[in-house]
Amino acid sequence: MKHVVVDPITRIEGHLRVEVSVDEASGKVTDAISSGTAWRGLEIIMKDRDPRDAWAYIQRVCGVCTTAHALASVRAVEDALGISIPKNANYVRNIMAATLTVQDHIVHFYHLHALDWVSPVEALAADPVATANLQNTVLATYKLPFRAPETSATEAFEHDYPAATPSYFAEIQAKVKAIVDSGKLGIFSAQWWDHPDFKILPPEVHLMAVAHYLEMLDKQRELVTPHVIFGGKNPHPHYVVGGMPCSVSLTDGNAPVNAARLGVVDRAINMGRSLINNYYLPDLLAIGHLYVKAGKVDGGGLAGTRVLGVGAYPLETYSATSDGGFFKDLLVRCNGVVENFKDGVANAVYSEISAEDLTSSDTLTEGVEHSWYSYPKDGDLHPWDGVTEPKFTGPKEGTGTEWKTLNEQGKYSWLKTPKWKGKVCEVGPLARYIIVYTKAKKGILGDLTWAEDMMVKQVEAVSQVLGVAPEVWLPTMVGRTAARALDGQLAAEINKYYFDKLVANLKSGDTTMANMSKWDPERWPAECKGVGLYEAPRGALQHWICIKNGKTANYQCVVPTTWNACPRDSKAGQGAYELAMMDTKVAVPDKPLEIAKVIRSFDPCMACATHMFNAKGERLGVMTTDPYSGTRMDKE
Amino acid sequence: MEKRESLWEKCLRKGISRRTFIKGCTGLCALMGVSVDRLAEVVEAAEAKPLPVVIWIHGHECTGCDESFIRSAAPLASDLVLSQIDLEYDHLLSAACGEPFEAHLKATMAANKGNYILAVEGATCTKDNGVYCMSGGHTFSSLLKEAAAGAMAVIAYGTCAAYGGIQAAKPNPTGSSGIGAFCGATPVVNVPGCPPIPEVMTGVVMHVALFGSLPPLDGEGRPKQFYGNRIHDTCYRRPFFDAAMFADSYDDAGAKAGWCLYKLGCRGPETYNSCGNIRWFEGLSYPIQSGAACIGCANANFWDDGVGSFSERLPKYGKLGNADKIGTAVGAAAVVGVAAHAAASVVQKGKREAIEAAESGKKESR
Repeated sequence: MKHVVVDPITRIEGHLRVEVSVDEASGKVTDAISSGTAWRGLEIIMKDRDPRDAWAYIQRVCGVCTTAHALASVRAVEDALGISIPKNANYVRNIMAATLTVQDHIVHFYHLHALDWVSPVEALAADPVATANLQNTVLATYKLPFRAPETSATEAFEHDYPAATPSYFAEIQAKVKAIVDSGKLGIFSAQWWDHPDFKILPPEVHLMAVAHYLEMLDKQRELVTPHVIFGGKNPHPHYVVGGMPCSVSLTDGNAPVNAARLGVVDRAINMGRSLINNYYLPDLLAIGHLYVKAGKVDGGGLAGTRVLGVGAYPLETYSATSDGGFFKDLLVRCNGVVENFKDGVANAVYSEISAEDLTSSDTLTEGVEHSWYSYPKDGDLHPWDGVTEPKFTGPKEGTGTEWKTLNEQGKYSWLKTPKWKGKVCEVGPLARYIIVYTKAKKGILGDLTWAEDMMVKQVEAVSQVLGVAPEVWLPTMVGRTAARALDGQLAAEINKYYFDKLVANLKSGDTTMANMSKWDPERWPAECKGVGLYEAPRGALQHWICIKNGKTANYQCVVPTTWNACPRDSKAGQGAYELAMMDTKVAVPDKPLEIAKVIRSFDPCMACATHMFNAKGERLGVMTTDPYSGTRMDKE
Repeated sequence: MEKRESLWEKCLRKGISRRTFIKGCTGLCALMGVSVDRLAEVVEAAEAKPLPVVIWIHGHECTGCDESFIRSAAPLASDLVLSQIDLEYDHLLSAACGEPFEAHLKATMAANKGNYILAVEGATCTKDNGVYCMSGGHTFSSLLKEAAAGAMAVIAYGTCAAYGGIQAAKPNPTGSSGIGAFCGATPVVNVPGCPPIPEVMTGVVMHVALFGSLPPLDGEGRPKQFYGNRIHDTCYRRPFFDAAMFADSYDDAGAKAGWCLYKLGCRGPETYNSCGNIRWFEGLSYPIQSGAACIGCANANFWDDGVGSFSERLPKYGKLGNADKIGTAVGAAAVVGVAAHAAASVVQKGKREAIEAAESGKKESR
């Protein structure tokens, strides 16, 4: 038995450590722990802030899924204050969300995940002519034809197409060779390039993927220009409670949004569709197909047992979330929990998630059994009633500041353990696809929206390409990565769909972008609370806010990576990361590439996941830090 | 140690002509905001200087600065990372992880002692010996000290690294602070912003890469070429301020017309940054252009500044006069507005010069 520590896990957001015990003879992982190793306490910092500013503070939870927390935050505040946003603002926010999903998924696959599958070293053996041929074959074989129905055609032709010429691939190969020959590998340094997994793909796939890695590094920035138009910048675009700050005028030259600015947005949206349809999805399916053929269908873990979603893309503006308005008119009704999908749709069990489930005290709870916090008594707490008492207990071996191994018997992470009805769940694009597919096949959804219909068709098309049933390929490491690409294609179409709706509404004469009727705190109730939901790129996100006398009395988020990366629980068992690692075979225990790969298939976002709750409003005390006189703690 | 390749050597190997190389250097002059008179210096630097080794470490942060860095259009992040710098360690982009990655960090630091650039993203955590920010089984605060000691220079990317940022906002639960005081004698360049503008981030690296020296800094350690102007003084909406034409509320007639956002709490008048001139995404926009009041994200304590809300008007600019009154009596009041504003600008300038003088005095006496 070998105990292997991987810390830091890179190509993710934030600080994550995993430890696995591997049986060297069989390659089986007998135990695995996932630990968030940093926390910043942003929710504490939220206390007493102006709720209208909450989006700005809480958006700084994460700069990779930038916009995600801002959007969930304004939704929570608007729910609390009873603000219904204008139609245009709903469309623009959906474009902000879909734009993030498209860009974030592309960056994840090429820049955060690809170097677990693809090696620049292997690319050196490729034949550029064969690579050009391969590029054509991949496009011919793996393009999926799905589109949103009846969208505007504002492109004369697809401008973003991969080159399939030998000279192009030869040039990329020469660049890679120069880097490798120089011995200064830069960002490619110190990876386990001799790992057998890098032999699964032929050299030409490596070269093609490395070329696309570079192309997408250049292109990803252009995909987020809608954030720059509507929010002024990216990362961290601006929002406003009540709508969006980007006023529209088709008559004023200085207006934030006019026809010329919409042209920029439309171009980015078209580019996103092309890059996903011509690069991301075909590349992913080509690689995934080779993995499935090689029998690499592990790494599913919790996905086949239990997944959770909250629903996405409100079709029109709605009354509120906590009154159920949010759930009534969604383009993607992935709200709910699906259990036992691994046994097929017929045997899968579906449970609804409705407004009552958000606020009832025992549906969504969090535990701290293995987290570096303590509760006053045993048991779990609803986030509303959450208590914050940090309790760092150090590692099993080593000291508090120099760890050797963490203590799986005790506390070992800054993440809490979120639960639905006492059970852990996986969230993310894979969860969204499992939920919508199951609901559709069981007839729970009635008439499908075009987006849900597209999701079902995507799943069926991939099943046909891979030659296996959805319950076989979806709940695996490859399936998790493939579902993200499908989610990207869907988001690119949704982007166009809402852009058209925005233009049509502006054309009708409605240019309202913000509802400012309740901007003044004088018009707020003395006490109120709200919930904001958003299906972020990494999965279901929930924000809760309590407002008292115009100030934030309590702010809490339960975040996708907290659901997935949480520590274990004696009753609920292990979370999605840990179970996925346990479900992954390790070929060379000294070089646990498979472990890093299965973890990255979740697209970890640790800064999102680690935070503290303080529902009771206790202050931890004010820290004063002076590098010369030392650190002082003022208890309040 | 192997000889590291210069930009010119790289061009030679790639078969790029001398003419193209010189053209590229001219472009770099513009990028770095130096006069073409200094082209010879730039050419010389590009010919001789080996690619600088960059080590990029992460403290308490959100990775938004890394993301901003890869949004750079000129230079493109791919060109910078693969041809113009030697980025040996970065949690976002590096292929490796775990033990071999940490061993590579140690080896890189040892082999390039005194010569590498340390880029730091995020604040350092000081409470309880720094246990709230661990990576590789060590505290970030210990890595920062060690890595900074061996660096040629430190670049503090973002408001978190420069001043502490969001986690240092009251009540600062983890005792976070900017990194400057923990870098020993190594010079620190502060590049604040939440995040900083992409081309500002890459521009600072380019300056160091080509000249082998830090860019000229102001009293707060910020590159003057990027932080020398207040957003207010470069804002395309400035004429509306001077003419006392304001948006009174988001999405009102003034907001739709693109008038000044001062009355919505805009921090442009107190914020030194390049949002007004370089802007974001090659001049595409910046928050004010998109209708959103500036929150002053490049300012040291912007999360705790003001009187409890970003929508409150600047508390520090009472001398500007009452914008409401300016708005109600256009005409004569506009003249008053201009005069008051000019006076305030002089006050600001005087204050700033005094601070800079004091700072430079401090440095010389060190």
